[in-house]
Amino acid sequence: MDQIEPEFRVQNIAVRLGGDLIFDAVSLAAEARTTLAVIGASGSGKTTLLRAIAGLVPIARGSIHLGGRRVDALPPNRRNIVYLNQEPLLFPHLDLFDNMAFGLRLRKVADADVRGRVDALIGSLELDGLGGRFPHALSGGQRQRAAFGRALAVEPAMLLLDEPFSNLDPRTRASMQLLFKRVSRERGISAIFVTHDLKESLQIGDRFAVLRDGRLRVFGDRAAFCRDPSSGVAREAQYWSEVATPVAGGSVRSGREQAAGMVEPLTHREDDHDDE
Amino acid sequence: MMRRALVTALTMLGLGCIALLALLSVARRWPWPAVVPVGLQVRQWREVLDPASGVGGAALRSSIMAVTVAALATLGGFVTSRGVARHPQRHRLLMMLNLPFAVSPVVLGVSLSYFFLRFDLAGHAAGVVIAQFIVAYAYAVILLSGFWNPEVAALIELAVTFGADRVQVWRRVLLPLARPLLVLCLLQTFLISWFDYALTLVVGAGRVSTLTTALYQYFGSGDLRLAATCALLLLAPPLAAIALHQRLASAAVAAQWEA
Repeated sequence: MDQIEPEFRVQNIAVRLGGDLIFDAVSLAAEARTTLAVIGASGSGKTTLLRAIAGLVPIARGSIHLGGRRVDALPPNRRNIVYLNQEPLLFPHLDLFDNMAFGLRLRKVADADVRGRVDALIGSLELDGLGGRFPHALSGGQRQRAAFGRALAVEPAMLLLDEPFSNLDPRTRASMQLLFKRVSRERGISAIFVTHDLKESLQIGDRFAVLRDGRLRVFGDRAAFCRDPSSGVAREAQYWSEVATPVAGGSVRSGREQAAGMVEPLTHREDDHDDE
Repeated sequence: MMRRALVTALTMLGLGCIALLALLSVARRWPWPAVVPVGLQVRQWREVLDPASGVGGAALRSSIMAVTVAALATLGGFVTSRGVARHPQRHRLLMMLNLPFAVSPVVLGVSLSYFFLRFDLAGHAAGVVIAQFIVAYAYAVILLSGFWNPEVAALIELAVTFGADRVQVWRRVLLPLARPLLVLCLLQTFLISWFDYALTLVVGAGRVSTLTTALYQYFGSGDLRLAATCALLLLAPPLAAIALHQRLASAAVAAQWEA
């Protein structure tokens, strides 16, 4: 079998914040046009990992390679890596169209080209007719789609998504997951998607990794991820199978009763936020 | 309801004061207990606007000084406020910036006078501008430090990952975001200088004539009608600026909602 040179490689990076070692010797590799889903509990260092890759926090050691060149010495504005926060941050002084055109205008793309590319994205992200609206007049899902579209517009070499759907209601979240999957496939996006939601990681990812206690474990494929106890997939599957299993006496055990027997679940409530 | 009543009462009071000044400025005589002036004339306006009165020169000087103070304080305050907001001792620094407001302007002027005399700035408009700048700059830093909140920091990071360099961050993110606050700061610092009397008197050593010192001279001479005319001149630019600011702010909000 041919060995494919990874598009993106992180080797033994360590990050210290305020004297605390957040993680040490983290390595990962990702192929182009795939999404690596990184799952980890709150406080595991997911956000810090993405911010380090984006250049927003310095790395104490290690290296980051993207598309065959080393980027960890470059300032964040020269890495072509876009980092999307948990909050769908839109510039409040710009309407939806200008927000989505923001990166293109920084790159001094011709106006006609900007218009064409942003209009196409607006259509693709089902935001038709909203181009003139300011962020305060958009719903959470619309803001998140606009933020996603703004990132897609500049065709980044790597897109880093930090629990982008965690603040959305379950229905909008599910539709955003499908939309992300569709658009990232259509456009061949290379992305790292961190989440604490196991189902979301399985929905979004092509490859998978678990970040726990400052250690990142990357799995070769989906099956290996699902088999491994650290992923929590087996526990989750067991939980759901037992929920529907009648216990002696004819009643069905509640999810809460069964969850009490589970050990350290990776999944969290919808309203849990990672505030690293 | 209570708030609306209070705003209405304050507006009426302000408009009443302006109406009273306007009547005084054109009154021939206003003997007690007449409710309105006895006869009208434009003599006060002619006298105040006469080049020989020096009011025109004082108004021009006041304008130049206020615009200079406002521009320098807002610009310097914006840059400094960023450093203060990020400083680990920011609360202490902000407390220190309140010092110019904790003492009387006269006391501040007297304490500064030593240095102004030493550097030959006392009795000059430049010295008064520097003294007013100290107060306006402290005010600007306090006002603008609130701008540098975590959301703005996140927007800066976002712009940077999109490829923005330092200049683009300022031009495309910070200045447009801060524009309403900067306009407010310009207006407020303009007013600090425009209405200043104590620092002008102490640092200017009576040799720097501005519209406020002219007004006090008329008031001191006992001619209330001339003082009222001069007071209207003093009030006109700030009122126009406040009205313009309100109109621009309302238009901006309306445009956003219409979109």
